Amino acid sequence: MKALTPHHRRSRRDDGHHGDAAAATYYDQPALKPPPYDWRISGYMVLAGIAGSAQIISTLASLSPHPPRRLVRNGRLLGLIGTVLGTPLLIADLKTPSRFYNMLRIARPTSAMSIGSWILSGFGGFSGLVALGQLVAGRIPGLRRLVGLAQVPAAGLGAGMSVYTASLLSATSIPLWSAAPQALGTQFGASSMATAAAALSLAEVAAGRRRTAATLDALTAVSALCELVASMVARRQRAAAGVNGPLEHGRWAISYRAALLLGVVVPVACHGINLLRPPHRRSDQLSAAGSLAALAGGMLLRHTMLRAGMDSTADPRPYLHHSRERR
Amino acid sequence: MGVHPRALDYPDSLLPGPIPDESELTSGTRIEPGRSYGFFTDTTLCIGCKACEVACKEWNALPADGLALSGMSYDNTVKLSADTWRHVLFVEKAPRDDIGPPFQAGWVMMSDVCKHCANAPCMESCPTGALFRTEFDTVVVQQDICNGCGYCVPACPFGVVELSPADGKAHKCTLCYDRLKGGLEPACAKSCPTDSIQFGEVDTLVERAHERVAELHRRGATDAYLYGAPDSPGATGGLERLNAFFLLTERPEVYNLPAAPDRPADRIAPGLAAGVATVAGLALAAAALLAGGRRS
Repeated sequence: MKALTPHHRRSRRDDGHHGDAAAATYYDQPALKPPPYDWRISGYMVLAGIAGSAQIISTLASLSPHPPRRLVRNGRLLGLIGTVLGTPLLIADLKTPSRFYNMLRIARPTSAMSIGSWILSGFGGFSGLVALGQLVAGRIPGLRRLVGLAQVPAAGLGAGMSVYTASLLSATSIPLWSAAPQALGTQFGASSMATAAAALSLAEVAAGRRRTAATLDALTAVSALCELVASMVARRQRAAAGVNGPLEHGRWAISYRAALLLGVVVPVACHGINLLRPPHRRSDQLSAAGSLAALAGGMLLRHTMLRAGMDSTADPRPYLHHSRERR
Repeated sequence: MGVHPRALDYPDSLLPGPIPDESELTSGTRIEPGRSYGFFTDTTLCIGCKACEVACKEWNALPADGLALSGMSYDNTVKLSADTWRHVLFVEKAPRDDIGPPFQAGWVMMSDVCKHCANAPCMESCPTGALFRTEFDTVVVQQDICNGCGYCVPACPFGVVELSPADGKAHKCTLCYDRLKGGLEPACAKSCPTDSIQFGEVDTLVERAHERVAELHRRGATDAYLYGAPDSPGATGGLERLNAFFLLTERPEVYNLPAAPDRPADRIAPGLAAGVATVAGLALAAAALLAGGRRS
């Protein structure tokens, strides 16, 4: 049991609401409650990002002057697979899963969860259409055109899939999540692009198509650099608000550093070295290492942000202090 | 508060059934749909009897929880939860030269409850519509719709809403929705022996609360202030007002209340816009790389 906080040693409120607001709380009891989320939610966040961004990449690839057909196909399938694997994770995390369909009972623009449910539904629908068309397009002539049309909304909603999970965290009262909404959105969006490009690059490397793999590796590296900048901005804003503690000390601090090392440093290094070499001397192993690291970093980033925020509610002081500063 | 004239219609101590519009007799407020109702909790009147906690548990048939010693003064309830919708806080204060013996007269108690915010973050974050605003301007969870997504839990700036592991649904104070429908004052307010918890129309309560603060200031208790009334602490950070508001004498943090709780929904658009802009920028980069990659 926690020791008593020294309320009685604190000066009386006659000081006119000034002084160290963090000094006295109610027996250091939590002022917020954490959501009951676990790895299933962070797993979904990763899959949503990969699926959404893969759909964008494949749509762009299909519209490029000489479409890389295998990459387009893989991106479309990844868009569907991410949705098919991610949705059950979300449903399984509900505490009354049999009522999952109530998520589509209303559309509420003030709820990031509601917005996300509709983005997921729309994305899933269009991704299914695109993937189905992709698989049977050769046999039915008119379908190619339909796929060409359906992939545009799929890619648009893919952008939503890539970033809405950041808004889902930001639009809460937990300060670690809420102190830097724009930077977190940028960080998750960039990480989604990096992980999707990494996943697609692995397939290209495995199939021996080094040229498209190199293109994707470059995209991974650019996205990772973007993520790095966003993470630095986010860190600064959280630190300014006095709520970055959980990412500076303790287990989630180590985990967060590992996420940045794997998600940013390793991919940028591997792909950077590889891409600076002449095309015939590029290493498949180096490319694969960078891609795998990017994927692992993306997973660790989502899981660390989720769990660090949840655990941060145990200490009421950063939140109460932050709320006072903001007033 | 004087006796309501209608009370004289019921001279017997044993009543044949519920009195119509009983709230008019117990709180001076007739309950009508379409008006805003709430609580004014005046902590200077609280004696820490926990009658509100007991009345709430009994009326709402809430299960017992946390039967353990907390070490926190007389507070073994510890927090609001899915099964505890009123929670009396106990803060023992240092000796004061001007009044009474130490740790007795300086004892601060406060009965905490769901604030039924004017723009309630729990309701705004609920994707199923299980959380809704009633005809009495209160915020209630419909457990027959809630699917236990848990998103209202981190949305609440006061840590009030919680999921019950017993049924996998969110639960919190309903401001006795069923009693209001039946013309009864909420259980906690009716049971409060010192009128620390006052039930009524919010505008009337706010007016009464301002008078009470002025009176306390006149009597020398210049610490007294309102928390959650319009333009007061608790309602300056984005929440317009709290329908259940408080008169406090310590800083909000002493009661674990945020000085300026904000509105989480305001952060959706900035996050989405920044994220989508990033993805669009990276998509442009991808398009350029794809075009260049094929040419080389």
